[in-house]
Amino acid sequence: MTQLAALSEGTFAAILEAGPDAMVCIAADGRIVLVNAEAERLFGYQRAELVGQPVEILVPEAVRAAHSVHRAGYLASPRRRPMGAGLSLSGRRRDASIFPAEISLSAIDTDEGVLVAAAIRDVTAQLRLKDLERSSQGLESFVYSVSHDLRAPLRAISGYSEVLLEDFGEVLGEEGRGHAERIVAVSEQMGHLLDYLLQYSRVSQAELHLQTVDLGEEAAQIAAEIQGREPGRRVRFAIEKPVKALADRRLIRTVLENLLGNAWHFTSGRDDASIEFGTAPSGDAAVCCYVRDNGAGFDPAYADKLFLPFQRLHAARDFPRTGAGTGLASVRQIAELHGGRVWAESAIGAGATFYFTLGGKGHA
Amino acid sequence: MNDKTILLVEDNPDDEALTLRAFRKGNIRNEVVVMRDGAEVLAYLFDGNGNARPSPALILLDLNLPKVGGLEVLRRMRADERTQMIPVVVLTSSKLEEDILDSYRNGANAYVRKPVKFSDFAEAVRVVGVFWLLLNEPVPSHGPKSD
Repeated sequence: MTQLAALSEGTFAAILEAGPDAMVCIAADGRIVLVNAEAERLFGYQRAELVGQPVEILVPEAVRAAHSVHRAGYLASPRRRPMGAGLSLSGRRRDASIFPAEISLSAIDTDEGVLVAAAIRDVTAQLRLKDLERSSQGLESFVYSVSHDLRAPLRAISGYSEVLLEDFGEVLGEEGRGHAERIVAVSEQMGHLLDYLLQYSRVSQAELHLQTVDLGEEAAQIAAEIQGREPGRRVRFAIEKPVKALADRRLIRTVLENLLGNAWHFTSGRDDASIEFGTAPSGDAAVCCYVRDNGAGFDPAYADKLFLPFQRLHAARDFPRTGAGTGLASVRQIAELHGGRVWAESAIGAGATFYFTLGGKGHA
Repeated sequence: MNDKTILLVEDNPDDEALTLRAFRKGNIRNEVVVMRDGAEVLAYLFDGNGNARPSPALILLDLNLPKVGGLEVLRRMRADERTQMIPVVVLTSSKLEEDILDSYRNGANAYVRKPVKFSDFAEAVRVVGVFWLLLNEPVPSHGPKSD
């Protein structure tokens, strides 16, 4: 305290001068007596052009008259408050351009009478961000309802094709049946794509419910579930436990299900399949995990395509039950939502390692 | 299977046709009454003249319905002791967590999402039918008020 109190008036003036908000002080008659460097920058005036002028020089022409009335009202009962609560305020620059502003006022008693200090902040960027958020939310809910509503006609397309196969198979002949089977198959694939769009729009609108999750424990559970669906396959799992991290449990399970499911899928050609979950040095992130397998791998030339939706690096005939190519896109979306990132390393035939981090720098 | 009635509440004619086919294919030969909006269901269940209509043994309820939505139908049914205990299986395209939670909160007995692939859909309908019409022990016919 004593040290603070010892700061000279000059130091205080310097702090005010260098402050992040534009400061404009006016006297009781409404004339500007003091401005700081940010005020010069924000309004585009030199200090000498402002001092001594009515403060209305900084107010858009259309509201100048109203402003001087409000100013008189404020001076009659001055107190610290935001200006024009609930109104959208604007400032006027030297070049007559207008910007949206947030302004707070305080009154200072001095030997020369009452001064009113206004702290002014340009909120153009905040407003633009709000607009952007609003339109992206609109887009996400649009994607949601479209992908939801498309399921009904798709069900009919697939359903009636199966009806054709069951009731009119003989009339259709072998070729006709083949066509109807293709309709059924691609309808099913389109169903997966719609599911992905649903999930994508849900995840980007979702609020994260962060809690401490043992990723190793979740990975072990998922590995057991996957193994349970195909008990005939022998795969060696090596899972590091515990791996504690702050994460949304439901979403992080989606990440692990996708990565472990892929590893399971792309090791299907091997008798000595092995899948590993562990941690790597995390750098700036809170945690860095990997899922490694000794399966088919991928051509590293396409590594950057892996995480885009609807991309598949393996032909359907090599891995017939491969999904719609949306799993890794979800993995990336979820990792990024957690302030992390994803990448992968591989060579053809040499297995693949998928990394994800959670909680990057500046992320709570 | 038996003489119990199924009430199918479905506004999409294709889904209606495919559901009826799924019952047929699954050898579920019970009478199926089809209703196409929620208001129709409420009028059917709550006959204004006090005539007791035999309760359906199972209601398959879509959520997204014209006039009165599926959740509202459910709410009204559960609020009335005559329809309080009729098994209701929500059968819908939605997998929104809110829809699932709201359905259970309002007293749905089960929630089934309609698969896109018809053979999966048919199997789901068959399993639901077999469980509720055959396996499940229904509420005694004198209703909940008997002592």
